[in-house]
Amino acid sequence: MSVNGPSVPGPQEPPAAATPAGGAAGTAAGMSQHGGTASAQLRRAVVVGGNRIPFARTGGAYTKSSNQDMLTAALDGLIARFGLQDERIGEVAAGAVLKHSRDFNLTREAVLGSALSAETPAYDLQQACATGLETVLGLANKIKLGQIDSAIAGGVDSASDAPIAVSEGLREVLLDLNRAKTVSRKLQVLSRLRPKDLAPDAPNTGEPRTGLSMGEHQALTTAQWKITREAQDELAFNSHRNLAAAYDAGFFDDLLTPYRGLSRDSNLRADTSLAKLATLKPVFGKNLGAEATMTAGNSTPLTDGASTVLLASEEWADAHDLPKLATVVDGEAAAVDFVHGKDGLLMAPAFAVPRLLARHNLTLADIDFFEIHEAFAGTVLSTLAAWEDEEFGRTRLGLDGAFGSIDRTKLNVNGSSLAAGHPFAATGGRIVASLAKMLHAQGQVSGRPARGLVSICAAGGQGVVAILEAL
Amino acid sequence: MSGSRTVILGEMPSLSKLYVNAAASAARRRVLGTHGGTELPAYTHEVRGVKADVANLTAYQHLIGESASDVLPAGFIHALAFPLAMSVMNRDDFPLPLLGMIHLSNKVVQAAPVPFTQALDIRARVENLRGHRAGTQLDVVAEVFTAGRDAAGQAAAKQEDVRWRGVSTYLAKGVFLPGIDKPSVPVTPPPFSAPDPTALWQLGVDTGRAYAAVSGDFNPIHLSVLTAKALGMRRSLAHGMYLASRALADVGAVRGDSFRWEVAFEAPVFLPARVALDIGTVQADGGAWERSDYVAWNPLSGRRHFSGSVAALP
Repeated sequence: MSVNGPSVPGPQEPPAAATPAGGAAGTAAGMSQHGGTASAQLRRAVVVGGNRIPFARTGGAYTKSSNQDMLTAALDGLIARFGLQDERIGEVAAGAVLKHSRDFNLTREAVLGSALSAETPAYDLQQACATGLETVLGLANKIKLGQIDSAIAGGVDSASDAPIAVSEGLREVLLDLNRAKTVSRKLQVLSRLRPKDLAPDAPNTGEPRTGLSMGEHQALTTAQWKITREAQDELAFNSHRNLAAAYDAGFFDDLLTPYRGLSRDSNLRADTSLAKLATLKPVFGKNLGAEATMTAGNSTPLTDGASTVLLASEEWADAHDLPKLATVVDGEAAAVDFVHGKDGLLMAPAFAVPRLLARHNLTLADIDFFEIHEAFAGTVLSTLAAWEDEEFGRTRLGLDGAFGSIDRTKLNVNGSSLAAGHPFAATGGRIVASLAKMLHAQGQVSGRPARGLVSICAAGGQGVVAILEAL
Repeated sequence: MSGSRTVILGEMPSLSKLYVNAAASAARRRVLGTHGGTELPAYTHEVRGVKADVANLTAYQHLIGESASDVLPAGFIHALAFPLAMSVMNRDDFPLPLLGMIHLSNKVVQAAPVPFTQALDIRARVENLRGHRAGTQLDVVAEVFTAGRDAAGQAAAKQEDVRWRGVSTYLAKGVFLPGIDKPSVPVTPPPFSAPDPTALWQLGVDTGRAYAAVSGDFNPIHLSVLTAKALGMRRSLAHGMYLASRALADVGAVRGDSFRWEVAFEAPVFLPARVALDIGTVQADGGAWERSDYVAWNPLSGRRHFSGSVAALP
């Protein structure tokens, strides 16, 4: 929002001063409504298209592929699809959640290994599972501001090729050993080593402050919102059914390039059924007072994969004779205090979405496609339950009553993470590219552009959400 | 290919067996005297339906520094075809001793990209036996086609169907076949003045073993000091194709899907080593990439290890 002030008019149309921050605040809901008109004065950032590699269950087809391998493969598929060989892109941003320390320049290294011009700058970003969507929003903002004309957003994760660190004890000894000058000092340092120091430190999905895994956190939330096993299994079933139908209809033909022998997400079970899902044993929440309802079927598996999205100004897309599928309208991040149980770990989008829609004077009824990331079926259903809850609406969202309910036929219509899998940082790019294509195909809805909402929860009690509109 | 008869092998020959056989044949020659022939065998060896192992492909790409794409790197195809090329040189009617041959140069034309999922027919033959001031040289030609190109099962390989073609020139040092050449005084090469390097490679003592693991070329001169000494080398040395393949990877994606790749080997790289490299890009008038020239040398002695180029196909 800092486009006001003594700005020097650039070669492009100088951006008009935005509404001063907080100028229009003070609604009954207590939500910030400032800046609601600012986006109209900026140029648009459009989604040209996307490319990802099929997502693979961990230990599968991509076991030996590194994050850089997969990101480069997704990038090269995008380059081939849109003829970007030797093109100098404004900026490329991507990231990985499980990242080796040697991969500090992961995205730039992928760019250098790709067919893009070596003069394309790149940076890494990390915001847990929201990484991919945040790269889209950050780059779209740069395009809107006129800083860049084209951008590639992306994300990648490998649970197979995960980094393993040495223990704290061994790490300290190794560092001190490096500093020790004499042999006797080196031996002294080495004598501190204990057998337990040799055990490696593998990454896990535990929250550092609570020690609970993400699944255990969600089990608390699932129980709090009284989400049934049947409802979770039904959501998982729909995810598989919708994703399988999308593949069969050729929906992914221009969104995906095969990699390492895979041409579909390997987690997809086209033949699954509610009966099969009902046979699975609960894996999370087994020590809670309530019935355990979360199974391997209604939770996402660990997955490997990468995704990319090509963003551009309208002028750049036109000049390159490329499609314009949708605009990136706006985004919002939220965080919750999950540490002491005020809200569930993955409930931040329940707050981000009402704030974002209020900023645009929209309600849930104005959304034609809901893309709510299925970290767990319970996450999606808890979020929807919170929005439908009168008390949550009044006390937590500051509304007169419940925020509202959604038309379930508009939810994750081409499947989502339960079926496709969820390589953490790659999920945002998967969703944005797919949604942009759906919006473009839909075109207009009652005289206005079709509108889609993306909602992604993330570790640390965070969430990032965004609105896209059809072009 | 005229006058050449095709022998279709049921499977890719085992390199380790070929090396053992070559050693036995060398011993036999030592006892019975040199081979009588002065002509190359007029046989083309062919293996059909060869498929790359994807785990091996990934390991190769990681070692060489290629992007781990689904397209086989040109150097990987060389390694894939190498046992077949060796099998031709391992024939009883091959006139030169296989062990100890020196790889002088290599020329590859990557005419079209080859995805790892593609089954391939590979053909190899030897040709162009000729003299060299230090011995006798010849070319080993390997060609890679999309499998199933001929439903009748006939060897109907047409040059325009070649996806990859490699010509490796080898020298049998100190072997002078009658009527072909005789020893002569080496011509002093023009002095090499090293340019500023664009890269510096640190090659560990295990470099040869690492490349042997991904290429299958377990030639003892590359594996360890001991095995190299057994064959008269003072230390183990890096595979020439490892070095050339790394240079090709350093040129990067600018080379596109089809290109010509050449290398001439000079001083061997004894391990461990530091190798200085310079890659220079030549652009066409319109600014498009035309060629990348590379040269590598020992930064201490200044001796040139190898040089070559990667160029756009005309």
